[in-house]
Amino acid sequence: MSIVVITALPFGLAALAGALRSRLPRVIWTVLTTGLMAGLFGWLLSFLPVINAQGAVEFALEWVPTLGLTFSFYLDGLALLFGLLVTGIGTAIALYTGFYFDDNAETTRFYTLLFAFTGAMLGVVFSGNLITLFIAWELTSITSFLLIGFKGAKSPDARYGAMQALLVTGAGGLALIVGLVLMGVAGGSFELQTLITMNLADHPWYTGMTILIMLGAFTKSAQYPFHFWLPGAMAAPSPASAFLHSATMVKAGVYLLARLYPTLGNTPLWTNTLTIVGLATLLFSSLMAIRKRDLKALLAFTTIGQLGVMVALIGLPESNGLKAAMVSILAHALYKAPMFLIAGVVDHATGTRIIDNLGGLRRQMPGLAVITGLAALSMTGMIPWLGFVAKETLLDAFLGDPLALVVIVVSKALTVAVAMIVFWDVFIREPEEEIHYHDPGNGLLVGPGLLAGAGSVLGLLLPWTIIPLITPAVPKEFELYLFPGFNLPFALSTLAIVVGVLIFLVRWPIIRAQLPRIPTGEEVYQAIVGSVEWSADQLLKTQNGKVRLYLVVILASFVIIMAASGSVGLAIDPIQLDPANIIFEQTDILKLLLLLLAVGATVAAILFREHLLAALAMGVMGYSIGGIFLLEQAPDVALVQFLIETLATVLIILMIGRINTSHREQAMRVNFEQRRIGLVRDGAISVALGFVVMLFALASVTNRPRFDTIATWHIVNAYPLTGVTDVVSSIIADFRGTDTLIEIVVFAMGALGVITLLSAGRGRPQYNPIYVRGLLLQVPGIASPFTRAVAVLILPFALLISITHVLYGGSAPGDGFTAGVISGLGVAVWFVVYGYGEARERLWWIKPGWLITAGLALAFANALFPLFIGDAFFAIQKPAGIEAPVGLHIASTLIFEFSIFLTVFGGVSLIMEAIAHPDEMSSDLQTEASVSDEAANMVEEMVTK
Amino acid sequence: MNLLFAITTGIMFGLGVFQLLRRDLIKSAMGFFILFTAINLFFLAVGAFTPEVPAYIDPATNQPIRDGQIADPLVQALILTAIVISFASYALFLSLINISSKRYETVDSDNVDQLTQ
Repeated sequence: MSIVVITALPFGLAALAGALRSRLPRVIWTVLTTGLMAGLFGWLLSFLPVINAQGAVEFALEWVPTLGLTFSFYLDGLALLFGLLVTGIGTAIALYTGFYFDDNAETTRFYTLLFAFTGAMLGVVFSGNLITLFIAWELTSITSFLLIGFKGAKSPDARYGAMQALLVTGAGGLALIVGLVLMGVAGGSFELQTLITMNLADHPWYTGMTILIMLGAFTKSAQYPFHFWLPGAMAAPSPASAFLHSATMVKAGVYLLARLYPTLGNTPLWTNTLTIVGLATLLFSSLMAIRKRDLKALLAFTTIGQLGVMVALIGLPESNGLKAAMVSILAHALYKAPMFLIAGVVDHATGTRIIDNLGGLRRQMPGLAVITGLAALSMTGMIPWLGFVAKETLLDAFLGDPLALVVIVVSKALTVAVAMIVFWDVFIREPEEEIHYHDPGNGLLVGPGLLAGAGSVLGLLLPWTIIPLITPAVPKEFELYLFPGFNLPFALSTLAIVVGVLIFLVRWPIIRAQLPRIPTGEEVYQAIVGSVEWSADQLLKTQNGKVRLYLVVILASFVIIMAASGSVGLAIDPIQLDPANIIFEQTDILKLLLLLLAVGATVAAILFREHLLAALAMGVMGYSIGGIFLLEQAPDVALVQFLIETLATVLIILMIGRINTSHREQAMRVNFEQRRIGLVRDGAISVALGFVVMLFALASVTNRPRFDTIATWHIVNAYPLTGVTDVVSSIIADFRGTDTLIEIVVFAMGALGVITLLSAGRGRPQYNPIYVRGLLLQVPGIASPFTRAVAVLILPFALLISITHVLYGGSAPGDGFTAGVISGLGVAVWFVVYGYGEARERLWWIKPGWLITAGLALAFANALFPLFIGDAFFAIQKPAGIEAPVGLHIASTLIFEFSIFLTVFGGVSLIMEAIAHPDEMSSDLQTEASVSDEAANMVEEMVTK
Repeated sequence: MNLLFAITTGIMFGLGVFQLLRRDLIKSAMGFFILFTAINLFFLAVGAFTPEVPAYIDPATNQPIRDGQIADPLVQALILTAIVISFASYALFLSLINISSKRYETVDSDNVDQLTQ
């Protein structure tokens, strides 16, 4: 459990940073953040005896048990070493950050990202499951992206670098997840503790998954040829570079390789790939580093080289390199992180990181010069610094391989020269020009000082510090001394230092020499990104913004796919297509007539030029279909169809009235002035699609189940279980009640969507009663005394019918939905006859918003109620033993029907209110409205007189 | 008879698609509604039984109210839900056209090509 807390705490601080940092004094915040990191470090340290005793600590939370996913943590020696590295370096970084930024809002963002990264990185090393490991791994990529692009608002380089880092590590991440999934399937488990006890070298997928996982590790740890993102990442603020891009995140790849060594390692593929890639990276980056004049770029290349060293060491067979790899990780973090922090201080103090523009800083910053000296000495591998131990163990591990030794000695000599350049050219050499200097303060020196100091003394304290730390992380027995005697590694190491000093002395020709150009990974990256952008441009050319064309393409593709698959229509049983089987009895002739009417009305709706006529034709089509429902013995459906068709016709006619006439006329014209080719295209697609659907429908009909369907169950159980004699109602309101619950939510959302769209940009309407009444004068035909009287009468009757529909919904056609629509139509009549203002004024007691709220609240309360009495969701029982009035069945569905009624009534009223709003009048009507406004003013004047 | 429904479903679907592809967005909305109707007809066609009596139960006997093959209640429930949802979508579609008229000064879909404005 405490591992979870350790991983979660940095995330918690990241979440709180926004609220806390600006409120707390800077000192307290710095103490808090540094204290948290140091506390986590101490907490992790307390696990060391446990790990030494029992090997590993595990913790698992069930996540998705059916998929075999667990949220598990696994803490063994290796994870602990990396955890201590993250929190230990993190302590120095947090302290340094407290002095690094000028106090402003940006700083909070940096802290948030920094702690989110810390949590993610701890997640990577403590994950006990391949999937959680991958998620945390990607989280570090994302936080890294955000930190590299931290100054992106001002700096294009930062944006470019961030994007490059994200794309390269993200692409590696894609390879990684495939590799991890293959590995999990091959090993039969995604749990690390299971996987690391088996070796998958003989599995047929071994080569594939190993290469994929290596790709993930190589991109993350910036191995050649994927190294190029790391120098680009130097656009990040220096504390982030030191933390992510030197000490911790880039070592995630190394961690993964070391973690999976038992499962995948110790094979020729593993050894050859890792040692060749690692050593090539080392040699290449050492050659690059010495020629760089930007302090951080130079350090970035030496970092790449050291990552190469670690990768190569993990490649060695029989775990021979693991000891050296662990020492290298610690030594490198302890000298390279301070180097980056020093670069940040220099940048802060002088405004430049270019070595040529620097020099002589020992006078202004003697303390920094000493710290740099300590870190540089560890970097050169001078005895007794920790760097020396790392170099000795590295040379010792590769003793049997002369070629590797040559590469290492050359690279180490170059590294020595680089370390001397950093120290000498920045702090000792006299500057060529006057340096602009401002005092960065001594607080910045504490963090790097601590790290460099640790790197200086830990070498002397090996038996008490380094050895206990790496013992549980290295699977085999080993010995580690500060000075193992005058042997071959020591001789080579001395040689490297001597050569390095010589290189330093003659460095200028090397730095200034023109090297032959070789293709780099960066150029490949740029070519890929460029080609993606080029294809995007090409693709964009096909996007002309005409939605109709997109629809044509989508539908045509669908037809082509269906035709190409050839599956549609195969299942049609030819015997049933016999005409003799189609028409059975006389009512079928009536149905046939109605079908013809429906098709005819649809054709008319297409051909009619006028929208109003087309809308009426649509109404005819809908009513014909309603008639078919009635003849097909589906009275409930027929009733709803008639009502909805009426409502839809009213709706579209009102909507047409709201749309500017000139816009409509223009659309009407273009509709029939389409070019012939376009018509043919649309017609061809329509015919083809209709044909495909027809074949599909025929296949469905001829293959439908005849006797053994779930419908039979519903018929038998409807009355006994729900007390409803209308089987359809029992399905709607009880058996499939959850569907209906969602349906009324959708309906309510639709109504809210309509009013939101139609009222976009208008405030709460202010009614001037006289003005609004004046509006009525424009529709004299509708607002006659007779229609007004009828409208007054209709609403109570509509409500009465609605109540009967709700009460008798279980035993007669009609239900809560039809009740809502009928009442809604009653309200619609008011809006049409009386106009918006008067209808709103006199129907003040109908509040659509409240009706929807009450309906949905009641529906959900009704559905949730059984949970409180220990039953399942929506398990409404038929109430027993209640005497109902004659003819009335109390059924399980009554409350739900009532809530449906409320919701639908509210929804329909809301839609009607939205359409009837005076602002929605089309412009021609509005002109008349302003005329009537004048009339209203005249009336007002007369009244005041 | 169900075969005729299936064939009509295809015809109505084709007509609906044609109407949907008009430049006039109001016609397009109608096409949308035709498609909904065609699909409801399809549901009716695939009902399990050839109906003779409505799906009502006599409480006394727990049998259909009259002798004969009962209509398939399941497809009816499906159609009911579909009709309601289709009306809500239709209302939304029409509101969007209204917005198009107000904001882009057109209800011709080919002229609405600056949706980012």
